[in-house]
Amino acid sequence: MNFASFILAQCLGALSQAAVLFFIACGLTLIFGIMRIVNFAHGAIFMLGAYVGCTAAALSGSFVAALIVAPLAVGAIGMAFERVFLRPLYGRRDSGAHLLLTFGLAVVLSELVRIVWGAQPKSLATPEALLGIVMILEQPFPIYRLFLIGLGLAAGIALWQFLERTRAGLLIRAVSQNSEMVHALGTDVDLVRTAVFGFGCAMAALGGVLAAPLVTAFLGMGANVVIDAFVIVIIGGMGSFLGSIIGSVLVGFVQVFGAYYFQDLALALMYLLMLIVLVARPGGLLGKEE
Amino acid sequence: MSWRLALALVAGVALLVPFVVPQYSLTVIVSALIFSLFAMSLDLMVGYCRLYSFGHAAAYGLGAYCAALILTHLQVPLVIGIALAVLVTVAIAVPIAWICTRSTGVSFAMLTLAFAQLGYAMLFRFRELTGGSDGVVGIPRPPGPFGIDWFQGKTGYYYLVLACLLGSYLACRAIMRSNFGAVLAGIRENEAKTLSLGYNTRAYKTATVVLSYGVGGLAGALYAGFAGYASPELFFWLTSGHVLIMVVVGGAGTLVGPMLGALFFVFLEHQLSQVTDLWPLIFGSIFIAFVMFFPGGILGLLRRRHAAA
Repeated sequence: MNFASFILAQCLGALSQAAVLFFIACGLTLIFGIMRIVNFAHGAIFMLGAYVGCTAAALSGSFVAALIVAPLAVGAIGMAFERVFLRPLYGRRDSGAHLLLTFGLAVVLSELVRIVWGAQPKSLATPEALLGIVMILEQPFPIYRLFLIGLGLAAGIALWQFLERTRAGLLIRAVSQNSEMVHALGTDVDLVRTAVFGFGCAMAALGGVLAAPLVTAFLGMGANVVIDAFVIVIIGGMGSFLGSIIGSVLVGFVQVFGAYYFQDLALALMYLLMLIVLVARPGGLLGKEE
Repeated sequence: MSWRLALALVAGVALLVPFVVPQYSLTVIVSALIFSLFAMSLDLMVGYCRLYSFGHAAAYGLGAYCAALILTHLQVPLVIGIALAVLVTVAIAVPIAWICTRSTGVSFAMLTLAFAQLGYAMLFRFRELTGGSDGVVGIPRPPGPFGIDWFQGKTGYYYLVLACLLGSYLACRAIMRSNFGAVLAGIRENEAKTLSLGYNTRAYKTATVVLSYGVGGLAGALYAGFAGYASPELFFWLTSGHVLIMVVVGGAGTLVGPMLGALFFVFLEHQLSQVTDLWPLIFGSIFIAFVMFFPGGILGLLRRRHAAA
């Protein structure tokens, strides 16, 4: 076995892992940037997306339909969440209230998923076109994982351009810097918050659908992945979009290479990385210290 | 009703409990009391410093695993094993507390979460010692010292837990009503001002976090001795979340409130899990309702009614 090709395959594996993580983390960081809320329900939203995707694919027989229906449905649910549960708490002096509320939502949402879909994992077949493997430097590599890398890359670039180049993106950046000033200038800040929360949830749902062919949709998937996403967002800097990309790649590499070279220590490595970053730069790599 | 009278009444009733309830109910009661102690320990951070720890499972898990390993390998008497476990937990908590108190708010929550998850991960790293996902099973309760074997049976263990709970409550209450507690109140209301008055606010916060870990570790150690096993779930972040729910629903910043919250949820879980498997849904819904509409918790509701009457 050629060492270089082996490393390349590992790197590609890490990048595909990073791509899935990015879909969850980018929503989390945008929501934090706009609302200063750590959304504990994001893992449950990711799981909901996977389950909705499985059902959509089963009903329509098409993976593409799942990729469209799940984000739309879950995004709408996210907006309703924000409107009903989170908005009444914006004026609360105690910043912990949101943290607690989203944790409560995570518990309730996970239970609802269990009630609706049952305890058995749901599988989602990899679409025909993406089935199979390609040889990269004589190493077999699944096409689906290449597809994930491409999609993650495309989503990252598209979002970045959206935030930098469009008026809506400008508004989002402005609200995350100084929401009161934006409000004073006559923009409906609440609308921006609802939209961003819904968008973040939609991205997480998309991540859920994309992860489903790899790991199937199961009840514990949210509880594990939400912590990964937290680690990413904290490493990158809370509220920093670019930080979430860097964090996703770092965590993807630590997870894949850690699992290969350190086995038992793999889980701990991620948290160690996070602690090192936090101790060195409390605001994260690209974040501001509060 | 004065506080002393209420305390005497509760203590009196609690002393009689083993004589009136059947043995199998005592198991639930002891678990509820241990969880009360755990919730009260978290309240020291959440209620008195507004430090929302999302990693208090670390204290519980550390206490439980230390007790489990000490009792299994060293064969020291139960009470000494538990005391040693608390000491080890406190020793480990000091650097953790020092690092975590550099931040507040969300960052504090995430740092504590990171430490707890690191502990969780370490259980799988040192599998030979901790048993990995199986945990430590068959933890003995060696008798002694001086041939004391009161805590071997369930009734005796009940009194041990009750004594720890009452003792910790009285100690924490005394600390929070002392000058130390007054400084914490100052930090909570306006940290910059308290700092400018010459108080080393970070040292105060660190001390509170260490105290909180110590009491939480005691709860964990008592749990390990009672259940006879320690499993990785004790360290997992959902444990931290659940105990935080109990604190908030009970009423943060009151010590008594979180204990009530823990009793409320443990008994509710016990009752509901017999008739329906939807209890986590009910658990979560009650929690959301309290966060949104009754931020003072159960105790806040009781007090409001008392004031209105």
